[in-house]
Amino acid sequence: MTMGEYSPTTLDLVRDVLDTQMLDELRDPMGRVDGLVLELRDGAPPRLAFIEMGGVVLARRIHPRLGAWLARVRGVTPFRIPWERVRNVGLDVEVDICRDDTPAMTIECWLRDHIVRHIPGS
Amino acid sequence: MLKKFFQVALGIVTSVGGFLEIGSIATAAQAGAAFRFELGWAVALGTICLIFLVEMSGRLAAVSKRTIAGAMRERFGFTFFVVPLIGIGIVTFLTLASEIGGMALALQYATGVRFQLWALPVAFVAWLLLWKATFGVIEKGVSLLGLVTLCFLVAAVKQHPSVTLIAHGLIPSIPASDATHYWFIAVSILGASITPYLFLFYSSGAIEDKWSVKDLPVNRFVAASGMTFGGGLSLAVLIVAGAVLFPRGISLDRAEQLPLVLSLSLGRWGVALFAASLGIACLGATLEIGLALAYQLAQGFGWRWSQDLKGSEASRFTMVYTVAILLAALLILTGIDPLKLTVLTMAFTAASLPLVIVPFLFLMNDKRYLKEHTNGWFSNAVVIFSIVLAFVLAVVSIPLELAGS
Repeated sequence: MTMGEYSPTTLDLVRDVLDTQMLDELRDPMGRVDGLVLELRDGAPPRLAFIEMGGVVLARRIHPRLGAWLARVRGVTPFRIPWERVRNVGLDVEVDICRDDTPAMTIECWLRDHIVRHIPGS
Repeated sequence: MLKKFFQVALGIVTSVGGFLEIGSIATAAQAGAAFRFELGWAVALGTICLIFLVEMSGRLAAVSKRTIAGAMRERFGFTFFVVPLIGIGIVTFLTLASEIGGMALALQYATGVRFQLWALPVAFVAWLLLWKATFGVIEKGVSLLGLVTLCFLVAAVKQHPSVTLIAHGLIPSIPASDATHYWFIAVSILGASITPYLFLFYSSGAIEDKWSVKDLPVNRFVAASGMTFGGGLSLAVLIVAGAVLFPRGISLDRAEQLPLVLSLSLGRWGVALFAASLGIACLGATLEIGLALAYQLAQGFGWRWSQDLKGSEASRFTMVYTVAILLAALLILTGIDPLKLTVLTMAFTAASLPLVIVPFLFLMNDKRYLKEHTNGWFSNAVVIFSIVLAFVLAVVSIPLELAGS
């Protein structure tokens, strides 16, 4: 047991990781850490398993029913990034995946392809 | 050295162009028309508070490399963050509609064609500038054109107003009559000066320009001199209105009366100069507010954001200002009175200030973000005093004013 002093080698999950800006392998912004998921294991302490992302996660943080409603309406589930893919946590949380391969860019790409690209001068 | 000089000069020009918009022009003019120089203190207090807030937002960006919206979500979590996001979002949207109304009114003064018909064309021009121009072009272009608003200063000096009376107005006083309207206008002036979009915009600009701790002295100087200059222009509007409208008993209730501020003081060119000043000031504000709304959402949700990206590289960012400007223009198209909308929006802004300023002050006193550059007790005290005053006055006077009219 140690006293709860912050040191450069420890992280406070809620303060330093939750809601932090996420960057993909090319350091492009891909949203924020919307949720953190612990995995419960038999005979072993819980383990930090995933970063969760998406509007459903955010809605659920405001109220579970709002989250359930949004999940039903949009027909999506939260997107999870395994904690093992995290490369660095500092000013931003850096992960070694490409954001275009994730649902994090679904709305961005939809808007680009269906609206913004059709505006002259884009 | 020369680069630094230009940076400072540009900062000052920016705030001259950026400070004055329909909110400050309309509230200062109404104050002067109804109470002569008595409400000068509200302009002064609002300006002083804004100096501190703008300096803080630049300091937060330079030291922590975070924008206000981003830091606020990180520090307080999403469930808290949605409250200021929605609250400030609503008043900022109404301010955007007021500015589009201001541009439309300016064209009505210039051409005689009703402002509703101008709502969509002016909104389109503003949108086109955001769509095509870079941050630098917007900042410098609008700021330089905004220097036309210096005509308010010329008009104020030409009236040879009594310096004693003006100085007297800088000290808060209890009005002899019409106390409800007096406090309501005071609240609107505070709301028009301490507009959240201004320092949200400023902190984003500081990140885009990659400020560091080295820039702190310049930041302090630009905030102080720039906002003083901008506040001085607001005061000039109040003085002209107090000198030419108050003695004639013109109370500026109707939007058509606004140009009287300059036509009665500068003569033949007055209406044209007023139309130009209002139009350019509101165009600048429309661009800043459109961007501020998009910045706020993009930073809060971690999207890519920068005015210098092509639209297709930041689709969500682009769509936010596009939709906001369109909806704001539609609101003006309904024929809602831009002057009434403006004054009421400014009062609502004052009431909503604690939503964003209280968490902002927590950030500014947090060593994990500001290191050794946290706020001193004096800046905390000035801002807390102004915000509490603005909030209490707003909560008391808005219902009374609405019930009375």
